[in-house]
Amino acid sequence: MTESLILGLSSGSACLATCGMVMFPYLMAGSAGVKKIAVDLTLFLLTRFIVYFILATLAWYFGRTIFSNPFIRNIVPGILYIVFAVLLVWYSISKSRKPDCPAKIVKTVNNRRLIPILLGLVNSLGFCPALFIILTQGATQRTLFRSYLAFLAFFIGSSLWFLPLPLAGKIQKKEVLKNIGILATGLAGIIFMIKGLTNIIGGIING
Amino acid sequence: MKNVRIIAGICWAIAGLILIIILFPGLNSFSVSFSKLPFMKLNPRYTGGEIATQLISEKCTLDIRKPVFSGLLKERNSGFVQLDWHGTVPGIIKDSIDYDNDGKKDFCIEVNRAKSESGIQLYNSKVKKILISTPASYGWAVRVGLSKE
Amino acid sequence: MDNSLKTVALRKSFGKSLLYTLPMFLITFMFITGGKPNFSDPASGLAMLTVFLLVNVLYFSMHFTGKTDKYRAILFIIFAMSLSYTLIHNMLQVRQSMSFSQADILECKIPFCHLVIPMMILPAAFTKSIIFPGSIIGGFANISSMVVLWVIATIVLGRGFCSWGCFYGGWDDGFSRLRKRRVIKNISELWKWMPFAVLIMVMLSAALTLMPTYCSWICPFKAVTEFEKVTSVESATKAGIFLSLFGGLVIALPVMTKKRTQCSFLCPLGAINSLSNKITPFTVKIDKNSCNECFKCVEVCPLFAITREDVKKGNVSLFCSKCGKCVDACSRKAIHYGIKGIPAGTMKNFSRNLFLFVSFLFMAIFSSGSIISTFQGLFKLIF
Repeated sequence: MTESLILGLSSGSACLATCGMVMFPYLMAGSAGVKKIAVDLTLFLLTRFIVYFILATLAWYFGRTIFSNPFIRNIVPGILYIVFAVLLVWYSISKSRKPDCPAKIVKTVNNRRLIPILLGLVNSLGFCPALFIILTQGATQRTLFRSYLAFLAFFIGSSLWFLPLPLAGKIQKKEVLKNIGILATGLAGIIFMIKGLTNIIGGIING
Repeated sequence: MKNVRIIAGICWAIAGLILIIILFPGLNSFSVSFSKLPFMKLNPRYTGGEIATQLISEKCTLDIRKPVFSGLLKERNSGFVQLDWHGTVPGIIKDSIDYDNDGKKDFCIEVNRAKSESGIQLYNSKVKKILISTPASYGWAVRVGLSKE
Repeated sequence: MDNSLKTVALRKSFGKSLLYTLPMFLITFMFITGGKPNFSDPASGLAMLTVFLLVNVLYFSMHFTGKTDKYRAILFIIFAMSLSYTLIHNMLQVRQSMSFSQADILECKIPFCHLVIPMMILPAAFTKSIIFPGSIIGGFANISSMVVLWVIATIVLGRGFCSWGCFYGGWDDGFSRLRKRRVIKNISELWKWMPFAVLIMVMLSAALTLMPTYCSWICPFKAVTEFEKVTSVESATKAGIFLSLFGGLVIALPVMTKKRTQCSFLCPLGAINSLSNKITPFTVKIDKNSCNECFKCVEVCPLFAITREDVKKGNVSLFCSKCGKCVDACSRKAIHYGIKGIPAGTMKNFSRNLFLFVSFLFMAIFSSGSIISTFQGLFKLIF
């Protein structure tokens, strides 16, 4: 749960850094005051919560089916952790990183009311390495409840970054926050790389 | 205004100088005062928790500490209980422990000090396994993993 | 002609330098000898005398030559090495090993260092307790004394603590001086924010696990102090991380970049110290009227604290550790030690004298114990 929360917190900051500025105008456009912003943000977060709830269930059932053998249960997630963690680290150090985000597709939607829900869907299903890591985490939990907990921690960690979105215009030194967020994502990647290695070594030792 | 800022800056710098000059002679008393602040105590995860029961035999005393489940905001589901044997600790330790004081033995611990081997028999589903079993300066210490459910 | 005149502006005559050294001489005499020099043990007496002379000669040289960094670095590097020596020596005597055992953790006998402080904050606030297996008060390297030392030093010196007080900083400072030229020149500006990312990660992970995660998993200086006994895959992984980070960030990269890379890219306490630069009375200032924008200060700064933009704006960023390297490198003395509130370019000598006295006094007294103990060991070995 700790790892999931840290992953959520670190990747949430990078997610906000890249997607926040795309999402912000849509969430806030035409809104009349704090109440409207709060409703939009709640809908956005609620959609993310539901998507993660479904993903936690699917990941766990999928994991239970394919990771039935204890050896595979250690080795395969170990490899997956390393692969996704490398991607996460690469993302944080890559010079070609662009502030690109799947949330851009909402530009094509005309219905204003659907936008927070669509943004929530796109944001939670955006295929980023952090999501793959949390899916692996959910798939390897002993119980479905633990899988929910892992996703819940990830959801809380990543959602915290969206809460001050209404104030985004007033936040100074956005570039600094973005840099720290991106580097924190890289560090989260390193944590999961070590976790992956420990899984593999543990799997080999325990047969 | 400029002069006020200059004077304030110099005063602050001289205050810094005084702080550094008194820091070392006063370090002991500052540290003692600081150590009395409410948060300046070690977390039970490190101390092993308060002593709940003492079982005194002829030469050896067994301290059973309170179970530790400490977490950041609330207690966790998993924790441990620490047992400390001190005095003249026998070569082979074998004790049945009732850690929660409910009158029923929860586990039996056996330690061969010479071989550094430890074993546990579980009588309670909340007791999990031996986490640490180690010689200590006062004798021997064991931490046994617990779960709340 | 004008340039050379400005270059010697911070130098003092022999007599004046002696006069400026006198207060340091008296205070360090009191602290090092306790007011009563004792030569009953020749090795101890000789060590005391050597350290006393060393600190005062270095301080005198700072005034006499007008250079700061060179003499600061000598004591700073000796401090780092001697502290590691003292720690290791102490552990070998007490435990016959550089590694600590589970019993040492259980009995809360682990020496505390200032790098643990960032991880203590959240648990102290929420659980009203300290998450470190050390001694709160009394004994070797106790928690209370180290926190008090760090708090006061940081209030007064800000990130200056990293160049005048941190007993680890001397390692990468030393290695960053080994080569004359840099092998790696272009390093992205992004990396200097890494300590803040590390700070966030270690503060959160320590709060959630109630464990000092930086010490358990990351700290490169475990390689030259104490570390967990290797008994499992986990402890072997940790040892591997400590050694690779020490080899990479404390030795290899400082040698190749001539920068203090561990302090710049990893240390979470450095991040907190940077923020404390906002409150400290002492600072480094750029006098725009004298600056000819040669950017030598940017090149020599070991902590990426000055960029070309900073020079153009006449600011030094909050990453500055007041080591004095840029001040020494500036031929026009446009960059100088200053005091907040005093405009750049004015009262340069006063500000420098006050800052040097405060910071050097802190380093001299803080370091003297471990340096004496190291010299004592060396003298015993030699004679």
